[in-house]
Amino acid sequence: MNWTLALPEITLSILAMAILLFGVLRRGESFSVCSMLTLGALLIGAVLVIGQARGFAFNGQYVVDPFAVFAKLLILAGAALALVSAQDYNREEGLARFEYPVLMLLAVVGMLAMVSANNFMSLYLALELQSLALYVLAAFARDELRSAEAGLKYFVLGALASGLLLYGISLVYGFSGTFDFAALAHLLSDPSHASAGLIVGMVFVIAGLAFKISAVPFHMWTPDVYEGAPTPVTAFLGTAPKVAAIVLLLRVMFVPFGHLTSQWTQIFEFVSIASMILGSLAAIGQTSIKRLMAYSSIGHMGYALIGLTVGTVDGLRGVLIYMVTYVFMSAGTFACLIAMRRRGRALEKISDLAGLARTDGGMALALAIFMFSMAGIPPLSGFFGKLYVFLAAVRAGYWTLAIIGVLTSVVGAYYYLRVIKVMYFDDPAPAFDRRPVGLSFVLGVGAVVTTFFFVFPAPIVGAAQAAAAALFG
Amino acid sequence: MAVGLTHYLAVSAILLVLGVFGIFLNRKNVIIILMSVELILLAVNLNLVAFSASLGDLVGQVFALFVLTVAAAEAAIGLAIVVIYFRNRGSIQVEDVNLMKG
Amino acid sequence: MLANYMPILVFIVIAGVIGAALIGGSLLVAHQKPYPEKLSAYECGFEPFDDARRRFDVRFYLVAILFIIFDLEVAFLFPWAVSLSRIGLFGFFSMLGFLGVLTVGFIYEWRKGALDWE
Repeated sequence: MNWTLALPEITLSILAMAILLFGVLRRGESFSVCSMLTLGALLIGAVLVIGQARGFAFNGQYVVDPFAVFAKLLILAGAALALVSAQDYNREEGLARFEYPVLMLLAVVGMLAMVSANNFMSLYLALELQSLALYVLAAFARDELRSAEAGLKYFVLGALASGLLLYGISLVYGFSGTFDFAALAHLLSDPSHASAGLIVGMVFVIAGLAFKISAVPFHMWTPDVYEGAPTPVTAFLGTAPKVAAIVLLLRVMFVPFGHLTSQWTQIFEFVSIASMILGSLAAIGQTSIKRLMAYSSIGHMGYALIGLTVGTVDGLRGVLIYMVTYVFMSAGTFACLIAMRRRGRALEKISDLAGLARTDGGMALALAIFMFSMAGIPPLSGFFGKLYVFLAAVRAGYWTLAIIGVLTSVVGAYYYLRVIKVMYFDDPAPAFDRRPVGLSFVLGVGAVVTTFFFVFPAPIVGAAQAAAAALFG
Repeated sequence: MAVGLTHYLAVSAILLVLGVFGIFLNRKNVIIILMSVELILLAVNLNLVAFSASLGDLVGQVFALFVLTVAAAEAAIGLAIVVIYFRNRGSIQVEDVNLMKG
Repeated sequence: MLANYMPILVFIVIAGVIGAALIGGSLLVAHQKPYPEKLSAYECGFEPFDDARRRFDVRFYLVAILFIIFDLEVAFLFPWAVSLSRIGLFGFFSMLGFLGVLTVGFIYEWRKGALDWE
């Protein structure tokens, strides 16, 4: 019983409960203190993840490999950035309750367990731990109707997706006799065991997980939840959970169902193409920048899924690099959105950004960097993310995917550039309120990583390569 | 006629379909959606237990226990969200959940 | 075939007998001093015979929500209790850890005032 392998998750859960008790037993406002403690906990988690041994724990329910470690560090980084950018916004909007960091921490524990899950049972429990915390976070502004509605929609559709996923798991179990990923992989290496019931189960599992990464046709919740949830929550939803879900999807597709590639490639080819097209077309008419980001994230998931469809080590490496660039671009962009406040009121129309270059040059520059990067313009990080997945697609002969990817990137560039045009060439609107230090920090981190990714891509690409190889090895 | 695995699977599939339709065709009350979600999880549990019995493998029943607990936690959170929604909107009719569109 | 259901029949009969004995016993032996307060049904403050479609106080939902969570720990306690002799100290302390987590939740809801009716 090698339970020390789960030490980061165990530590984080204990810390989450300790912070909860601290917050509830302490008199007076404890949001700031609890946030600081949570940041410390995330840091401790990162140290533990780095120092962790590799191997299997809990009778094979749980695995720690370079793939999981890579994803865990990315998740912790995304969560920390989201928590930092939430500080001042939450205080101004009356959301400064200590449950906020605690819920984030619990969601992070769920995500860490998700990427380490090596059995459908641990997968489900981890996924639910993450989802339940996120449902509450989406409805965190409980006196605001839009937030409550976002929480309600997220909950109903999320619960439906969990239900479909579970139904799939039960079918897979019934037709194979095991929940274990390794045992399933072993069983399915003989094609005669791939019965129709098992394939149907697999399709249900894919549907449930596609919902979690908001890929078309399971994307309907994304725009509404992104728009309705408080912006810092949206920032969180748009980064860490996406990484966790897509990494989980990669593991499920390549470890237990790795021998059924011929069965699922076409599904993901369709999902990927549909996501890219919808992400680029539906975003064009949006006026709310939060909705724009929602459609943008759907599109990004489409690009990332190219790497999954390709199904080679190159493709997987591409997905991981894509997720790294995506997390930092998104965190930075959302920091800009959170900073959009005028006289203490949060704004979210694209037109509110008019003439930002003249009122706040720094933020305009940072947002322009993120938008260029999301559009995939070299030498920013977003370009490399796309480059690696497209290259993998071309090398494996998936020309359609690569060509549609390039085309939708061009269409997508239109709406990203529109934001830049509004900032630089429209008549200035009144200036925003002064930007808090925390947001400037997140903005800076995002902008630096995005801009200078091309200077030293080697460590990240190398780590992604090792991680991707570990999944196949 | 002996009740075999296929009968359980059929009942469970019917429950699943009822649950999914309950979510999408329901135009009345959000609480009905919560009940439909529970119905789906019930279908899953029936599946798990039936498979577990026919395979002679206990793991499925253990999973069913976990699903049961998670379903309760999910129902609790769902109810809590419905309550705060009701406090803001004054209604939990499905057609009133329409603030955001597009 | 029907013989299989014999125990259920026995159960029904015994349940009926016990119920009848309790009600009958109290009718025969107890002192009867009815007054209106005593006769009115106590049903969490509801009129027992009234329109069933009226709105519930939202606080009942809160109680229900809290109840569900703590109710379900039993689903894990029963299997744990019957297999306690075979799961060793690790199994024993795993459950203590689980109960500890529940206690944290309980302290939280208590301090938050979720258990106060007013």
